Amino acid sequence: MTRAFVLASAMLFALAVVSPNERATAQGDGNAIPRTSDGKPDFSGIWQTLGAADYDLEPHATRSDAPPGLGIVDGGEIPYLPAALVQRKKNFAARATADPRGKCFTLGTPRGIYGGEPFQIFQRPRDVTIVYQFGHPVRTIHTNGTQHPEGTLDFWLGDSRARWEGDTLVVDVTQFNEETWLDRSGNFHSDQLHVVERWSYLDRNTISYAATLDDPKVYARPWTLRVLLYRHLEPGFQLIENYCYTLDYDEFYPVPVSERTGQPSPQAAR
Amino acid sequence: MRRVIERGVVALFYRIWRATVIGALAVSATTVAPTVVGAQGAAGFRERTVPAIKAGEWTGARLSDGQPDVQGHWSNTIGNHNNFTDPQGGGPDEEQPRQRGARADRAPSRVSDPVSGEVPFQPWARAKAAEFAAHLSNPTRPEYVEPLARCAPAGPTKSFMWHGYEIRQYPGYVVFLFDSGTRIIPLTTSAHLPASIKLWNGDSRGHWEGNTLVVDVANNNSKARLARTGEFASEHVQITERYIFDAKGDRFTYEAVYTDPTVFTRPFTITIPNKRITADTPQDGWNNTTFRANAPGAEPIIEAWERVCVENNGPHGEIAAAP
Repeated sequence: MTRAFVLASAMLFALAVVSPNERATAQGDGNAIPRTSDGKPDFSGIWQTLGAADYDLEPHATRSDAPPGLGIVDGGEIPYLPAALVQRKKNFAARATADPRGKCFTLGTPRGIYGGEPFQIFQRPRDVTIVYQFGHPVRTIHTNGTQHPEGTLDFWLGDSRARWEGDTLVVDVTQFNEETWLDRSGNFHSDQLHVVERWSYLDRNTISYAATLDDPKVYARPWTLRVLLYRHLEPGFQLIENYCYTLDYDEFYPVPVSERTGQPSPQAAR
Repeated sequence: MRRVIERGVVALFYRIWRATVIGALAVSATTVAPTVVGAQGAAGFRERTVPAIKAGEWTGARLSDGQPDVQGHWSNTIGNHNNFTDPQGGGPDEEQPRQRGARADRAPSRVSDPVSGEVPFQPWARAKAAEFAAHLSNPTRPEYVEPLARCAPAGPTKSFMWHGYEIRQYPGYVVFLFDSGTRIIPLTTSAHLPASIKLWNGDSRGHWEGNTLVVDVANNNSKARLARTGEFASEHVQITERYIFDAKGDRFTYEAVYTDPTVFTRPFTITIPNKRITADTPQDGWNNTTFRANAPGAEPIIEAWERVCVENNGPHGEIAAAP
C-alpha cells in the first residue's frame, strides 16, 4: 500500500465522519469557531472535561479513592480562611459519605462543569442553556441584559447573568445555597459564593473555561480555577438522562408485568 | 402520614417568600406555602372544554431553521394529576370529597379514545391501578408512593398534568423544561437508544408535520405513574405524541397514543389542552410559575427560575420514609 493511498483513505474516512456543516466549514477555514446568527461564538454541543479535578481541585498524588491530578487552581491551593480550612479538613475526613454528589444532589457551579459527566449546551441570543447529564438539572445563563433577581435566593446552580466581552462569555453567578461541594475531597463554599466564569473558544472543538470564586465567609481572597472542555465528536453521541437520585427507590417501579399472570397482588397477599 | 403536597412549588414559593419578605416577617415556609399551593389555577387556566385545533399547515412565525416558533412558557388548562379520567373530579386522597356538580360540568376525561373515556386496562392492571389509588394517602408499601412525590421525573405524559413548563427551540431540537424533569427532543429520524436503556422520560425522536410536532418516545422505563389515581403502563409501552399548535401560537393540543399489549386491551389516546403563559398571566404558583425578570425600564420579560426539586433533592423525602 502506498503512502498516498493511505493518506487518501484517511481523508475519505475523515470526510465520512464529520457532519455536512463541519465539512462546509472545513473547506473554508478549518479553524473558524462556530458562530450564531448574531455573530457571537456558538457554544452549542455536548462537552466534557478530562482529568481528575472532580476528585480534588488541588494537586494530589494517587490515593485509594482518587487518581492523581495536577490540580486546576491557579497557584495550586485554595486560599481558605483559617476556620474554613479546619472545616475543609473535616470534610475531607468525611468525604466518603458527606460529599453531596454521593446522593446525586445537583453539583452546583462551577462543579457541574468539571463534575465528570457530559453536559449539553443550547444557545439562543437571549440565553445559554446547560443541561447536565448528572442529575439532569438545567442551568440558564441569561444574555438578554437582565439583572440578578433582587432579594436573597438560594439556588443550587446559582443565578447566572452574562455579557459578551469580544468572543468571551463572562458570566456573573450569585444567589447560591450552601449545599454543594466543589469536589469529592471536601473543598467547599458558603451561600456567599460569587462566581465569575469566562468561556471562550480555544479552537472549534475546545472551550477554555475559567471560574473565579469569591466568598468572604470561606476564602481569604478570590481564586481562579481553569479547565478545558472537549466537544464530543462521536457520531450519534447524545446525553442519557441520569436522574441518579431516583436509584434508591428505583426497585419499586414500574409495576411488574409478571403480576398479570394471576399472582396475587402484594396487598392481597397480606 | 403526612398528606402528599406539591413539593417543588413549596420550594419555589419559599424562595419568593424569602426574596420578598425576608427579615420582615417571622413566618415559616410551611405556614406560607400551602396557602399559595391551595390557590391552584390561574385565571383562564381551569377550563371545562378542550378546544379543537386541527392538524394542518403552519402559518405562524418560524425560526431560522424553518421550525414553527412555539417557544415560551405554557401550562395545561384542565388541572393536575389528581385524577386521570376526571381531571377536575378530585383525587383519591380526599378524605371528604367535595361536591363538584354533574360530571358534564367538569373537563372531560383525558382519555379521548376510546370514547368511553376509560383506560382500556386488562383486568389485572385495572385492579392494580385501583390498589394504588386506594393507598395514595396510606402508602403501606414502597411501591404505593406516587413517584412524583419523591421528585422523580413525571414521565412523558404526566409532565403535562403538572406545573407550567417552558419550550425552548434550537436548530435540530425542541427542549421541554418541566417542573420535574427535562426532555431533549432531537428532530431526527436516527435510531433510538439501544433497547436495554430504559429512562424515566424515554428516548425521543421528533419531526414537524405542518403545525404538528410528532414525537416517537421509546426506551420508557414507565416508572412514573400517569396520575394519582394509579394508572400506569409498562416498560414495553410505545408512545407516539402529537403536539398540534394553533396558528396564533397561544394554544396547543397534546395527544399521546399509548400502545402496550402487556397492560392494555388496545391502544388508547390521551388528550391534554395547553395554553401559553404571557407577562399578563396572573402568577399563581401552579400554572404560572414564571417571574418577572429584573430588567428595569424594559418591556416585561418573564423567566422561570431553577427547577430543582429541593426538598427531595435526594432519594428519600418524607414521603419515602413512610412505613
